[in-house]
Amino acid sequence: MNEVVLEAVGLEKRFTRKRLFAPDTVVRAVNGVDLAVRRGETYAIVGESGCGKSTMARLLLTLMKPSDGTVLYEGRDTAGMSERELRALRRDLQVIFQDPFSSLNPQMSVGALIEEPLRVHGIGTAKERRAKAAEMLARVGLRPEHADRYPHEFSGGQRQRIGIARALVTGPQVVIGDEPVSALDVSIQAQVINILAALKAEMGLTLVLIAHDLAVIRHMADRVAVMYLGEVIEEAPADDLFARPAHPYTAALMAAIPIPEIGARPPAATLEGEPPNPVAPPPGCRFHPRCPHARENCRTDRPALRPLGDRRVACHYAEELTLPGIATETRPRAPGVARRFALLDARTKETDGGERP
Amino acid sequence: MSALLEVRDLSIAIAGAERPLVDHVSFDVAAGETLCIVGESGCGKSLTALALMGLLSDPPLRRIGGTARFRDRDLFTMPPRELRGLRGGEMAMIFQEPMTSLNPALTVGDQIAEAVRTHRACSPAEARDRALEMLRRVRIPAPEKRLEEHPHALSGGMRQRAMIAMALANDPALLIADEPTTALDVTVQAQVLDLMVSLQRESGAGMILITHDLGVVAGLADRVAVMYAGRVVETGPVAAIFDDPQHPYTLGLIRSIPALSGERRRLVTVPGTVPTPATMPEGCRFAPRCPFAGTDCRAAPPLAEIAPGHRVACHRAPIEEKAA
Repeated sequence: MNEVVLEAVGLEKRFTRKRLFAPDTVVRAVNGVDLAVRRGETYAIVGESGCGKSTMARLLLTLMKPSDGTVLYEGRDTAGMSERELRALRRDLQVIFQDPFSSLNPQMSVGALIEEPLRVHGIGTAKERRAKAAEMLARVGLRPEHADRYPHEFSGGQRQRIGIARALVTGPQVVIGDEPVSALDVSIQAQVINILAALKAEMGLTLVLIAHDLAVIRHMADRVAVMYLGEVIEEAPADDLFARPAHPYTAALMAAIPIPEIGARPPAATLEGEPPNPVAPPPGCRFHPRCPHARENCRTDRPALRPLGDRRVACHYAEELTLPGIATETRPRAPGVARRFALLDARTKETDGGERP
Repeated sequence: MSALLEVRDLSIAIAGAERPLVDHVSFDVAAGETLCIVGESGCGKSLTALALMGLLSDPPLRRIGGTARFRDRDLFTMPPRELRGLRGGEMAMIFQEPMTSLNPALTVGDQIAEAVRTHRACSPAEARDRALEMLRRVRIPAPEKRLEEHPHALSGGMRQRAMIAMALANDPALLIADEPTTALDVTVQAQVLDLMVSLQRESGAGMILITHDLGVVAGLADRVAVMYAGRVVETGPVAAIFDDPQHPYTLGLIRSIPALSGERRRLVTVPGTVPTPATMPEGCRFAPRCPFAGTDCRAAPPLAEIAPGHRVACHRAPIEEKAA
């Protein structure tokens, strides 16, 4: 379980914007990230807009070349791979995109869309490919006749199921989900999360989940990395991270989540302002201008991401700060209401495929 | 408490579909109160808001029935001129995506000043002062500088603040906010929600907050209306909706949210998908997805009171007694 399957070492991605009458500006979208994803786990990368998490996804997928540093797959440097090795890598390393509307070719039938990765990788005969696609269709809870239809005939949740079938049909080792459920309504999101969880278990997948929704991450992830302005500022087992964040930014994220329960603390705006412009990040700790705990040396000394027990954290004062996480007790329900929910649970168990039987 | 707004039996149809998209929707909003309308894509929550503001795109959408009494006048029958006087004045709306609802060619200050001058007689200088005051109230840093900037120069959170400033510039009695924080990051969302709550407290305005986020509902609502496929299926005080949910759809919504407590249960899901305008079922519109549905659900259930102020449209409520 502790075997590392995908690893980023000193990963950096700079984007240069050329300007006519001014010096070029450089954005470090990903700035020196080290992380190691273990086989079989769900590793989540979380952060707000512009933190570099989507760039991370592209780098890990080798869809983008890093400016510096490397991505290792099963210990091998992907930068040095031949065309052939890269093709094999892409069979093993698949992606599920956020937007099920723009990531499926509207002119291809669903069957053809799911077979396409097999065709591209030259796997099986035409007949075997058709059978494999039909099997995947069933596993994501769609009906066999759906193979002959086109993407526009499906709802958002169904399209995301198609996206999942396509990603998993080649039997990958690692799947990177870039906000795979963020575009979906909550009831549909739950269906897709369940399908992902079930397929992950059946196929022994490693899942890298890029997301901004902390509830989804709480539900799915084993370990979580929190990014801010291109850097990982904290990485911890999910339970530890939510119970007791060690970095003030992680704590601020937790405090801001609206909790769907009466009497829960209201979402708190503990941070002033918004993340600074990544073109000119502040010196010292990148979070210090918004940090309620910042001290003098935070303005000048950049904290390294260092080990602290089971986690890694980039804060000078991680040991002394006691930061609130999310309370884990839920209020008991009235007996009648509890019975109501139990009935619902019992009756919906069989219908999880998405279609009513 | 007398209602500021009383909506009764609002129905909206779209050309080509047999059944209405919004079907006999009724609710009240009192001054100082926040009513959350919650539901998923296509439930008719945004159409309801647009109809109240007189902003339905007709055709293909058409209001086919209902009344909306706002301060003893019916929004749906008043002359367009009178409605224009209300809109942006006594009644204002905040949209999800500020970039598409702010004019990209005008500076932030000019847009707010324009909104002010449309509704009150004042000099350009006074309108400008009011715009500056509003930017301060929504806590935009360096407001004098922002006044001169165009919307594209602002971040998403600042744009949403600018839109709130514009909506509140004329001290509306009723504010309609359609997913005002959905496009924002969670820490910025918390700031904007904070701001909306404190501004509402100061002004005593009534608010209709349209959202799909039950977390936002729990934090802000006084009362809740849950919509499904164009109908209100359950409505009541916020505590009743979360602690004593009755409609199978409300139960399903609550159960399908991943718990922040870390409980790793399999999520309970609502099977199937929301009906499209062309496939709206007869009778109870939730029945095809409902685990408790029976033959009697072919008749539409009335929105009946199950406890004081708590109404539910389900033949099976309470489920533990009638469906066990």
